Amino acid sequence: MRSRSRRKRITVIAALGLAAGWSLAAKASDRVKGGALATGKADATARPVAQTAQTPELPYVYTKWEQFTTKDGLPNDHIFAVKADGDRVWIGTEDGLARLDKKTRRIKYWKEEDGLPWQVVAAIDVHPGTGDVWLGLFGGGLARFSGGRFDHWHQLNSGLVNDVVYGVAVENDNVWAATTAGASRYNTVTGEWSIFTEKNAPMEEIWNYGVCAADGFVFLGVWGSGVLEYDIERGTWKDYLDPDGEMEIDLYRDDGIVHVITTGVSFVEKTLWASTYFGASRYDGRHWRGYFDHDSGLPSNFSNAVQGRGANEAWFATDKGLGALMDFPTDTWVTYTTDHKTHKGKALVQRGSEVIAEFETAPNIPHNYVLWVDCDGDDVWVGTSKGLGHAIGEGYYPGLKVADRVTMGPRADERTTGRRAIP
Amino acid sequence: MRTRYLPVWFGTAVSVCIGGLLVGTATAAEAEPAGRAGDAKTPTSTGQTDIDRLLDAIDVGPYEVPKLDLQKDDNYARSSADVEPFRHVTPFKEHFLEQMEYTGPGRAIPEPEDLDAVKIGFIGPIMSTVSVATGGKSHEESLGIAMLRGALLAVEQANERGGYLKRGLPFGMVISNDNGLWGASGNEIIKMAYKDKVWAILGTIDGANSHIAIRVALKAEVIMMNSGDTDPTFIETNIPWVARCIGDDRQMGYMLVDYLFRKMKYTRVGIIRASNRYGRFGVREILDGARRMGHPIILEMAYQVGGEDYSLQLERLQESNLEAMVHWGDAVDGALILNQMRARGMNQPYFVCDRCVSDEFLQIAGKNAEGVIGGYPWDPTRKDPQLGAFREVFEARFGAEADTYAAHGYDGMNMLLWAVQTAGLNRAKIRDVIAHRPTPFKGVTGLIPLSACLDDLGEVFFAKAENGEFNYYSRKDWEVPQGVIHPRDRVSRKTAPVD
Repeated sequence: MRSRSRRKRITVIAALGLAAGWSLAAKASDRVKGGALATGKADATARPVAQTAQTPELPYVYTKWEQFTTKDGLPNDHIFAVKADGDRVWIGTEDGLARLDKKTRRIKYWKEEDGLPWQVVAAIDVHPGTGDVWLGLFGGGLARFSGGRFDHWHQLNSGLVNDVVYGVAVENDNVWAATTAGASRYNTVTGEWSIFTEKNAPMEEIWNYGVCAADGFVFLGVWGSGVLEYDIERGTWKDYLDPDGEMEIDLYRDDGIVHVITTGVSFVEKTLWASTYFGASRYDGRHWRGYFDHDSGLPSNFSNAVQGRGANEAWFATDKGLGALMDFPTDTWVTYTTDHKTHKGKALVQRGSEVIAEFETAPNIPHNYVLWVDCDGDDVWVGTSKGLGHAIGEGYYPGLKVADRVTMGPRADERTTGRRAIP
Repeated sequence: MRTRYLPVWFGTAVSVCIGGLLVGTATAAEAEPAGRAGDAKTPTSTGQTDIDRLLDAIDVGPYEVPKLDLQKDDNYARSSADVEPFRHVTPFKEHFLEQMEYTGPGRAIPEPEDLDAVKIGFIGPIMSTVSVATGGKSHEESLGIAMLRGALLAVEQANERGGYLKRGLPFGMVISNDNGLWGASGNEIIKMAYKDKVWAILGTIDGANSHIAIRVALKAEVIMMNSGDTDPTFIETNIPWVARCIGDDRQMGYMLVDYLFRKMKYTRVGIIRASNRYGRFGVREILDGARRMGHPIILEMAYQVGGEDYSLQLERLQESNLEAMVHWGDAVDGALILNQMRARGMNQPYFVCDRCVSDEFLQIAGKNAEGVIGGYPWDPTRKDPQLGAFREVFEARFGAEADTYAAHGYDGMNMLLWAVQTAGLNRAKIRDVIAHRPTPFKGVTGLIPLSACLDDLGEVFFAKAENGEFNYYSRKDWEVPQGVIHPRDRVSRKTAPVD
């Protein structure tokens, strides 16, 4: 186990003014030392570039961000998975597992030489009862990190169907692993393994990618087989496929899942969110809604993962930025990108494909190639191919608020926030 | 199953022993080809100025995405309007028409210093195993070994020319068996990417294993060139790290559909196919195309790979009063089925997939093979000095004729070697030069023009068994009509096409 002091960098602190065209933002060079927040000067603008009378309400926009890289103690910058766990955040990288202590702001990490069974940690979940950390190892099977010890299951010593694990989810006493050759379920009490493939589940293909468990269901995102729903009590399966059945088109946007090449699933408030490499989908049990980059705020159709925060809010990790559908009823999005050449970040507020506001800030996400996102109370953690991002949700609110009541970003007394209204 | 890392050293003897199977033993000097494909030293292979511009463009830092012209195709896979799915409806979204980008930080990773060889991965079915994916019996070794030989020859020739020229390092191959058990290929790719640290990978043949492998290649960010999997869906995944250098079953299926229904005007066609992914996905375009053209396939029957008695399937097909029969599966099965058809008095014209266009098929089918027509991804009888030289060297090196898998394996490996020589030791840049090469690669199998989704859109051919051998014909040779191919994507067409 290794430890390194955190050198946190506050790289984005933007504030939004009451009137269009002015704001405050911290200089990127204003680093936080010893856990204190730096105050910034008004060196960047957060400006709306479009306003309409029809857009009186706005979503919450994250303007305060932290970034963590190897310079801050991460073992590797390529981050496949992030899982917030109370005062800790677990980080799965291409070369090691890391843990960020939110209070001490210290990062510890484990590599293969420290007992981690395999270097690439592609998925993480935490058992709420035991605190055990379950790791999906990309090519290394399944591991449990508990009491400072790694236990290892792989396809030669257990019922894990394959060592290439893309997703892991804790469901009651069970741990589910989404592997490239089917799904496995491990009962941590009885030690029993169950394997789900085309033999006993409606998998047209068995290339599992994502898994989540909530409210009595387990959902599998399966590459080439859409989304599978497992009813835990009944032990039955249901599949969701693209109704047109064609790879090269999506015939109708809202007739079902947009494509069968599914990469991620998230089920929250009885609403299913699915990411694919061809767009994204939402399903409330009755109606489907599809999203593409040309008709929504989704930054790219290539989505690596999705995290639902509720029935009306979901975050998408794409190869061209972080997209958040902040209010489903009004189709209001905020997308976050950073231009490291100019050292500026951008938060784009869209209603459908229409841009209603654009805010220029200091950098937000560490890299625009986003691989994972995890909502943590009011905050959001973002795994990218070049570091970990932390969106600090002070004053966060779900949905929309009337513009003149909207508060975005840090408090005004920190000189890093403001209030803005769009008429 | 893991095999071994085999450096193919310049000027030294190479012996590749895989599971007791001696693939080839020769000195590099014996393998001197007269013509070379896609060689970085061959200035005619592509415009150097364009390449220089491309290299300048991709020389970016970790946070930049190079401004590259993304290829935009007007039509997916050159599909004629009357075989497009749901052709009377304008779809909400059409995929695969615009080239995917790689937007990650990989281009900024510097070349490592401590190397003694430049490793290229190879994965293919080269050892006999039990196979779940392919129907229970391992059966693709002959294809995989041919592919390996082609790839090995390309590497040996590159080493004869000095290896990785920028640093004088030899190329080496990391060879893995794709044993057919679903998921095994994923483990192999991961080891190659993270432990062996290969710069690019060539493989594989089985459609299921190929899909598993490319999912890993995407996450590990290493390009995967495919030279042997003709499954159309292989490339339909929106992965920017995948390319294919062989014509697929969609192209060959379209061509056969045009022949069956437009030229011959059959109305009652049946299908018999292998009960595996190759058979299932191979006939998809024929099934869909036939239905969309108003002549749905009368009956489709599947058989277990490796069986010898097909009477169950043939009995039902015989009762269907067919005008023609299409087979999609391996050569042995295809030939046995043909023989059993003829024995039952079924004299319908017999159409086959490219795997049946082989000496093995001709040998087993005997005189029954006469007149059999298949699709084929290239014209192996093309008069081309480069192809002739390749055949000669291949035969001298391995004591066997170069078949389609050998030739495409050779081309695929040469494409990767060209990319490494051009881009340097950076996986993202190797991907870039493959994806954005300004001109089609000139291989021994012909020109290899890539579509926006990096699929081989080169011409495919008919193969016809005549007098104990296969002869090859183009669409033009046989005047096979084709439907209207719209020069415009479907979403922006003003009206949906009509019959």
